[in-house]
Amino acid sequence: MAHERTERNGAQLVLDTLLAEGVHTVFGYPGGAIMPLYDALFGHALRHVLVRHEAAAAFAAGGFARASGSVGVCIATSGPGATNLVTGIADAMMDSVPLVAITGQVRSNLMGTDAFQEADVVAITHAITKRNFVVRDVNELRATLHAAFRCARGPRPGPVLVDIPSDVLKAISSEGADERVGGSLGLPVASEAAIAACIELLRGARRPVAIVGGGARSSNAIDSYREFCRRVRLPHTATINGLGCGAPGDPLFLGMLGMHGWKAANLAVAGADLVLAFGIRFDDRITGPPNRFATNAKIVHADIDASEFGKTVRIDVELHGDLQATLAALNRALEGVTIPRFDRWANEVADFGGPLPRDRGDRERLSATDVLDALFAALPDDAIVTTDVGQHQMWSAQRARPSHARNFITSAGLGSMGFGFPAGIGATFAANGRTVVAIVGDGGFQMSLPELATVRRYNVPVKILLIDNRNLGMVRQWQQLFYDRRYSATNLSDNPDFCAIARAYGVEASSVDHTSNLAEAMRHFLAHSSAMLLHCACYPEENVWPMVPTDAAMHEAIEAAG
Amino acid sequence: MIARLCSSDGRLLARVIYLAHRFGCAYTSVAGHELDGTYSGLLHFSGPSDALARLSKQIDKLNHAEKETL
Repeated sequence: MAHERTERNGAQLVLDTLLAEGVHTVFGYPGGAIMPLYDALFGHALRHVLVRHEAAAAFAAGGFARASGSVGVCIATSGPGATNLVTGIADAMMDSVPLVAITGQVRSNLMGTDAFQEADVVAITHAITKRNFVVRDVNELRATLHAAFRCARGPRPGPVLVDIPSDVLKAISSEGADERVGGSLGLPVASEAAIAACIELLRGARRPVAIVGGGARSSNAIDSYREFCRRVRLPHTATINGLGCGAPGDPLFLGMLGMHGWKAANLAVAGADLVLAFGIRFDDRITGPPNRFATNAKIVHADIDASEFGKTVRIDVELHGDLQATLAALNRALEGVTIPRFDRWANEVADFGGPLPRDRGDRERLSATDVLDALFAALPDDAIVTTDVGQHQMWSAQRARPSHARNFITSAGLGSMGFGFPAGIGATFAANGRTVVAIVGDGGFQMSLPELATVRRYNVPVKILLIDNRNLGMVRQWQQLFYDRRYSATNLSDNPDFCAIARAYGVEASSVDHTSNLAEAMRHFLAHSSAMLLHCACYPEENVWPMVPTDAAMHEAIEAAG
Repeated sequence: MIARLCSSDGRLLARVIYLAHRFGCAYTSVAGHELDGTYSGLLHFSGPSDALARLSKQIDKLNHAEKETL
């Protein structure tokens, strides 16, 4: 039963401000210092999802934000509750995900005394947030929260932490009704000269390639990017966060590039005379040694964040501005000029590739890549996939052809194991009934097992596809290839009975261990109307191919173990 | 390299010093003061030129971030 209140304390102010910011779902876990907020939640219109570990709250909020484009919100108490959010906050920072983390803090008069459950979380998170705040006056609470949301949204999205001492949560505010403060920010716009320089390079190019990244998703530039690709008709590739930005079925899309990217994508970039990079960070996993990246190409880089220009690779033309506006300007500029046809180059690039190389070591047992091929063949076009981190993540990124960039959700920059399952839970709250599949490995899943209870409590219809190769597979692969097969601490042959665990939490589960049973198991898995675990017992020696070794150039991939 | 900071957040100086060390740079002198709730800092950094260039861009970004928020 809801308890009516006539005046608002800080905690009620927080919740009402969240509603005013358009938030309807938050992910959190209670504790001592945050108790006033949880008291205010009792009977409040805001939907609170109780996770079973604060780390999952941050990952679920991140999954929600990535799927919806809205700000994700997570809540934890002081000290260990707050520090348990840290990985999810860093994850959001690396992938530019809008996130507001609200943490309880010990009473103001105890701060700095090493009080029970005290941690200086603003100092801890200073380097992994866009900004963070401690609110010491209840009358500054609302303005601070609005500022946090503005900061989280952009221009380049990211995480913001608001730390609130418990006495501030309990204090009565003298503020009146909420009026959302501030409007949209003026975004930088690429200069006409830079746009013209880009067009000029394009007119002189013979072998251009476009690369798109998560910036296109963040700035809602997907339609503009697709139009650009349609107009120029050039081969194009994507970083892992850019998957789904290109038009579905576009034959000029080369697949993901990078360390485990498609050969055609990497060779095209290596052979290009012009690279057009839209909203990417030139991360080491896609460039290899920067001085060996696209050595014959002029590079045009479009990004909202000027600090990204020249960070790792040399840039010839900087398009500093909102990506949607930049691409719109490029599309307008293209209307008045003649661009060469790149058909010959596109055909040449198409010949670079071929099917993904695979290990075929053990026909008798289930292959992880067969499982993922079966999944992606059967998924509805609008399904959302989340992944954890490791081999299954790379196999998935190689195979996924999402219809939209918000439909493929992965911890790309930070590579946080334990992300995939809670992110899938969070994404389900933004999915509006669409299918959500969390693809996880046996290592990462065991970092997030308690969230089966969250799934059960809220009847979250997330599908959990578990690739169980009884190893920390990616590390095992590196040990095989680069550490003389010294398999240190990667063997998980003592894994538990995952289906029994799922059932103990009240979640349906089944297992498949042979290719002959895969099709029926997958059909049943995807047709099931509520949450389900499909445990796939795969043979452990399968590797991710191609693979570009550390310090090799991106066109020097290996395709099998030597 | 000389960097100037101006912020309502007095901790920005510490953030920049941490960043400098992360980039392989170090400060050779730091001066800061507060006036009417605005913190100003003047820092001198030494280090490899490419790292200083990256640091300079990050400082510009941090200086700009407050304008995005407030």
